[in-house]
Amino acid sequence: MSEFRALSEAIIKGDVKMAIAETQTALDEGNKVQDILDNGLITAMNEVGDNFSKGLIFVPQMLRSAKVMQECTRMLEPFFQEGDVTSKGKVLIGTVKGDLHDIGKNLVSMMLEGAGFTITDLGVDVPPEKFVEKIREIQPDILALSALLSTTMPAMPLTIEALQKAGLRDKVKIMIGGAPVTEKYCQEIKADAYGSDAGAAVAKAKILLGID
Amino acid sequence: MKYEEVPTFQPRLKVLNREQALAIHQAALEILQNVGVRMEHKAVLEMLVGAGCQVSNQNWVTMPAILVEEALGSAPKEFDLYDQRGNKTIPLADGNYFYGTGSDTTFTLDLETGERRRSILKDAANFAKLVDGLENIDFAMSMCNPADAPIEDIYVHAFAEMVKNTNKPIIFIADSGRDITKIYQIACLVAGGEKELEQKPFILNYSEAISPLRFPENVMEKLIFCAKKKIPICLPSGSNAGGGAPVTLAGAMALGLAENLVGLVVHQLAGKGSPFLLGPNVSTLDMKSTIVSYGCPEWSLTQAALADMRDELYGLPIWAYAGSSDAKIMDAQAGAESMFSIITAMLSRTNIIHDVGFLEYGNTSSLEMVTMANELVAMSRFFTEGIPVNEGTLALEAIERVVSGEPGSIFLMDDHTFEHFMKAQFLPVLLDRSRYDSWKGAGATDLYQRCNTEAKRILAEHKVEPKTDTVLKGINEILKGGI
Repeated sequence: MSEFRALSEAIIKGDVKMAIAETQTALDEGNKVQDILDNGLITAMNEVGDNFSKGLIFVPQMLRSAKVMQECTRMLEPFFQEGDVTSKGKVLIGTVKGDLHDIGKNLVSMMLEGAGFTITDLGVDVPPEKFVEKIREIQPDILALSALLSTTMPAMPLTIEALQKAGLRDKVKIMIGGAPVTEKYCQEIKADAYGSDAGAAVAKAKILLGID
Repeated sequence: MKYEEVPTFQPRLKVLNREQALAIHQAALEILQNVGVRMEHKAVLEMLVGAGCQVSNQNWVTMPAILVEEALGSAPKEFDLYDQRGNKTIPLADGNYFYGTGSDTTFTLDLETGERRRSILKDAANFAKLVDGLENIDFAMSMCNPADAPIEDIYVHAFAEMVKNTNKPIIFIADSGRDITKIYQIACLVAGGEKELEQKPFILNYSEAISPLRFPENVMEKLIFCAKKKIPICLPSGSNAGGGAPVTLAGAMALGLAENLVGLVVHQLAGKGSPFLLGPNVSTLDMKSTIVSYGCPEWSLTQAALADMRDELYGLPIWAYAGSSDAKIMDAQAGAESMFSIITAMLSRTNIIHDVGFLEYGNTSSLEMVTMANELVAMSRFFTEGIPVNEGTLALEAIERVVSGEPGSIFLMDDHTFEHFMKAQFLPVLLDRSRYDSWKGAGATDLYQRCNTEAKRILAEHKVEPKTDTVLKGINEILKGGI
């Protein structure tokens, strides 16, 4: 097992004090930042994810672990060097135009972040042109679109269309989700993946980027 | 001796006393005074400022308690919904309770194949017709979010299907001020004019703001429209515990009520005396799947508490849910959860009880579920009506006749049984009490299969009194104008 077991345990338990102390110890001992990240933090979140999938823990426990992990990552950030692979991938996320609901989107963001992705969240009621602009700017690997209402769902294909017109469609994978969204709808509007819930969104994001 | 009728209890469930109700109400007022709400409709914002609210950060509004008290004072404590022929069928007063379907499911269980498939307009028609033919289902909602209707007018088309397939009152959804106008036009056609509709409303609008404390422009458009036209409206926000609201039920209720009260204040400022239903919809966000539960005990409990708050403080009719489930098929879980919410909604005397017939946390609608609920409502009503105690029901004469009568005298043969059994007993139709061999001989069916058969029978045999050609033509024109 990893040498950062105590750190992992603290993250799994959601004990922020302990996790910070363990991260500090790991840094003080001269460990590589990449090692702490991979074998301490992400290992812990993978275990948390597994426990959640098996129904052993509940969402607030998982989110607490994700929050603790973020605190620890923040401690590591000043030590990252160029060339360090710190992120599983960049995800741009937002609720589509006309829709103001954000609980589902926020949950997906949190889960993706916990799994090691870097998130840029454009918030709610995001018009297609704003997505286009931001994709140009930050070049994400994945664009994640959320909608709660069947009446705002059509803003998803409109956003995809806007990407096509801007010549960006091939530069980014598109993931969609939200109460009225289905796998079939995903195929119809030619998105790349549908996540039925936040856990599924993480799994789909990993598949899209070829991460096991 | 003679036995006079003795008034007996009709079982009534209580959750809060006045002091407890006040504590939650005070918390709601404090949220409005200290935290405030985000109001995204400009004219409403100005109206609220004019009425004494404070604004910061462009659209962040705090509201003094006096405004809430005034609105509670001017909203009607009682009002009625009518069927489409002008009969008063839903008198909303005291603890009267009425059950009906829900809206906006993405999927419907296909009556023929049992398959969960995307809902279509025909489903909305079928649900309305089924409601029309079921004795204990008092109002219709669209149930479905039809895939084959033009998305910008999806609610207008669903409404048209309902009007064509039922004459019971309709609770409808709209997207904004645009489509609600069309729905209103159709309703006026059916009622015979604006004035007739105002006098005998057969429609009620259900809209939702967004928890926590966000009031979007399109939602406010509908609220103002209803206030001005005197169309009854209910405006919860989805303050489910753990999702839109705090995980603890008291806090979720306080937040949900704060949101409801903002709606009420705006509503009464726009149309003093217009009818409004309170109902914060406090369900739970499931802590594993993150679905909003339609089978949890929490929702039943919070709406029972709301009924007490109505009795202790508000006086306004309230909105509730029952007869739905988180189960994916109509199985034992669906039966258990349906009955739990149906009987508790009745025992706590909530008023308008919607969402009957949902499966899969409101994502799938089932005609079989509605058919089952029809019987569960009857069963609950029997229980809730209590035990009448009078000369006839004490039946001393019958006891004497049987005991001192000729050998072989039995109650079953006595006239008293013949005269009373229809009222004295709950007589199930779909809940099976047959002896084993008859059950087996009749195909060894389960409740789902029997409800399926019954739903099919009603759809095939029930005749809905049709709308006139003029009304139908008018509806078609309104629909065409919208595409």
